[in-house]
Amino acid sequence: MSNLLSVEKLTMKFGGLVAIDDLSFDAKNNQITSIIGPNGAGKTTVFNCLTGFYKPTTGQMYLHQADNKVSLRKYTDFKIAHVAKVARTFQNIRLFPAMSVLENLLVAQHNELMIASGYSFYGLLNLRSYRDKEQLAVNKAKYWLDIIGLTHRADDNAGDLPYGDQRKLEIVRAMCIEPKLLCLDEPAAGLNPKESAELNNLLKFIKTEKKTGILLIEHDMSVVMGISDHVVVLNYGKKIFEGTAEQTKKSKEVIEAYLGVDE
Amino acid sequence: MKKQDIIKSFKDSLLTGLIALALFGPIVGLRTASKGEGLFITPQWGIVFLLVGLCILGRFLININSARRTEFKIFSTLSSKFSSITEDKAKHFAITGILFAVVFPFLPFTDRYFMDVAIMILTYIMLGWGLNIVVGLAGLLDLGYVAFYAVGAYSYALIATTFGWSFWICLPLAGLFAAFFGILLGFPVLRLRGDYLAIVTLGFGEIIRIILINWYEVTNGPDGITGIPRPSFFGLPFKRSPDEGEMSFHTFFGLEYSTMHRIIFLYYLILVLALITNYFTLKIRKLPVGRAWEALREDEIACKSLGVNPTNTKLTAFAIGAMFGGFAGSFFATRQAFISPESFTFIESAIIVAIVVLGGMGSQTGVVLASIFLIGITEIFRDLEQYRMIAFGGAMVLIMVFKPKGILANRKPTILMHGDKK
Repeated sequence: MSNLLSVEKLTMKFGGLVAIDDLSFDAKNNQITSIIGPNGAGKTTVFNCLTGFYKPTTGQMYLHQADNKVSLRKYTDFKIAHVAKVARTFQNIRLFPAMSVLENLLVAQHNELMIASGYSFYGLLNLRSYRDKEQLAVNKAKYWLDIIGLTHRADDNAGDLPYGDQRKLEIVRAMCIEPKLLCLDEPAAGLNPKESAELNNLLKFIKTEKKTGILLIEHDMSVVMGISDHVVVLNYGKKIFEGTAEQTKKSKEVIEAYLGVDE
Repeated sequence: MKKQDIIKSFKDSLLTGLIALALFGPIVGLRTASKGEGLFITPQWGIVFLLVGLCILGRFLININSARRTEFKIFSTLSSKFSSITEDKAKHFAITGILFAVVFPFLPFTDRYFMDVAIMILTYIMLGWGLNIVVGLAGLLDLGYVAFYAVGAYSYALIATTFGWSFWICLPLAGLFAAFFGILLGFPVLRLRGDYLAIVTLGFGEIIRIILINWYEVTNGPDGITGIPRPSFFGLPFKRSPDEGEMSFHTFFGLEYSTMHRIIFLYYLILVLALITNYFTLKIRKLPVGRAWEALREDEIACKSLGVNPTNTKLTAFAIGAMFGGFAGSFFATRQAFISPESFTFIESAIIVAIVVLGGMGSQTGVVLASIFLIGITEIFRDLEQYRMIAFGGAMVLIMVFKPKGILANRKPTILMHGDKK
C-alpha cells in the first residue's frame, strides 16, 4: 500500500527541552496509524507540528498526493486544513458550543461556501446558485449526522450535547472538510465502553468507505489494539517501537516504557 | 429563617455601612465653602448618616431576601414573561416597532423635542447595530468604535465642504473611509483577544481624537468644522428663502414653511439608514462569513483547524462594523452642521458598547430596547442636570442585576434542518 504521510527526522525543541527527537515514520493510505506512548512522550507535539500549529525545529513532513509529494512545512496555520487537507480534532473538545450542530458542520465547509456565495455578494443578493450550494452543504452535514445518529439534534446547540456525542461531532466536523489525512487526538478519552465501540466503528467506516488515512493518538488500548493497522510508540520524544498491534503488545521496549524495567 | 442568618446578615450590613462611611465621609461629609478670605470646611454629618443608614438598611434587606432564597418575585416573573413574549412574537414585535417608528413624526403628541430625542436614539441604535457585528457576532471587544464614527463624520464634513458634493455621494465615501480605518485598526490587533484587544482599540479611539485636535490644517483642530451642508430632499433644500433659481421643499409641495420638515426628513433618513444596517446584519449573519464570525468568537483555534482564515474573517468584521459607524458619522455631521473633536470622546464608545452588551450580545432587538432604555432614561431625567448620569448608571445596574446576560440573550441558529418547531 502506498504511503500517505512521511515524517522524516522531525525534531521539535522548546528552548532546551527536546520534545520530539529525530522522529521518522510513515503512515499509509487507507490505514489507521496509532501513535501511543506514556504521558509527555510528545504525541500531541507531533500533531501540532503536522497541523501547522508549531513550526518544527528541523525535519520534514511530506504528504503524498497522486503523483507528487507536498511538504507540510510550506503551509502554516489554517492553510494546512484549507490547502493540504489535513484535518484534526483536539484532546479537549473544541466545538463551537453556542452554535447549532448543523452550523458547526457548515463552518467546516466555510471555504467552498465562501466561494459559492461570491464572497458574500451573491449571498446578499440571495442568488439561486448560492442557495443550491448551501443546500448541498446541508445535505453533506445531514449525511454525516445520519452516520453518527445525531440528525434529530441538528438544530440544538453543540454545547448541549452529551460528551460522547460531542466527540463524534468533532470527528465528523473534521470529515466535512474532506481531508486526506485525519488526525485524532485522544478521541476515546472520557468515553464509556459502549461509546468507544461506536467510535471504533465510525473510524473503521471513515477508513474503508471514505478512503481517508487516520493518524490516532490514544491511551485507550481497546481502541488502539482493536482498530490500528500500524502502531508507533514514542517515549521522551523518541520512537522506541514501530509495528503492528500484535507485535507492539509483545514488544519488550514498549512494556518497559509503560511499566518500568525490572531491577 | 434561622436566628443566626439574621445575625449574619446584620453583621454583613454593618460592614457595608463601614465601607459606605469611609466613602461618603470625605466625599459628602466634608464640604468646602468659601467665606470671606478663604476656604472653610463645613461638615454635613447629617446627610452622611442618612446615606450610611440607607446603605445598611438596603444591604440588610438584600441579605434577608437571599437567605430566604426568594428573589424579587415581581421582577423575575415580569422579565421572564417579557422574554417569552419577545421570543414568540419576535416578528410581530419587529413589525409593530417599525410601523410605530414610521408614523411616529405624525402622532399628536410628537413635538420638536420628541423628534430630537428619537433621532438621537435612532443614531445610537444604528451605532449599536454596527458595533454588534464586531462585538456581538465576531466577539472582538472594540472600545474605540467612536473613532469610526468620527472618521465618517469628518470625511463627510471635509468632502462636502471642500467639493460641495451632495449627501448621497459623500455618504458612501465616508463609509468607505471608515471601513479603511477599520482595516487599519484590524491589522495590528489580529493577534489580540479579550482585554488586550479592548485596550488597543480604546487607544485607537483616543489616537483618532487627538489627531483631529492637532491636525489643525485639515481638521481645523478644536474649533471644528462649521457650515457643513444640510441634506436636501432629492435636490430640494429645506430653506425658507432658497437661492436664486432653486426651489425649496415647502414651495415645491405647496406647504407652509416649517423647520419641522427638515427634522422629519432627518428622522426618516436615520430610520432608513438604521434599517439598512439591521437588514444587512440579519442577512450576513446567515452567510458563510457571518457564521465564520460567530465561530471565531466561539473558538479561534478550532476555526484554524477547519481551514477558516482568521485574518480575513476578522478584518471583514472590523471593516463592515466600521463602515456602518462611518455612515452614522456622516448622518451626525449633516444633522449638526457642525462637528468638533469634542463629540467623539471615549464616553460615546462606552455608551455604544453598553448598549450592545446590555441589549444582549448579538441580539438586534436587544440593541433597540437598550438604546431606548438608556438614552430615554437619561432624557427623562434631563431636569436633574448633573445628576442625570446617576440615572444612566442606575439603568445599567438594573439591567445587570435582573438580566445579567443582557435584555434579550437568546441566540437563534442561522439555519435550521428541521424547520421551526411550532
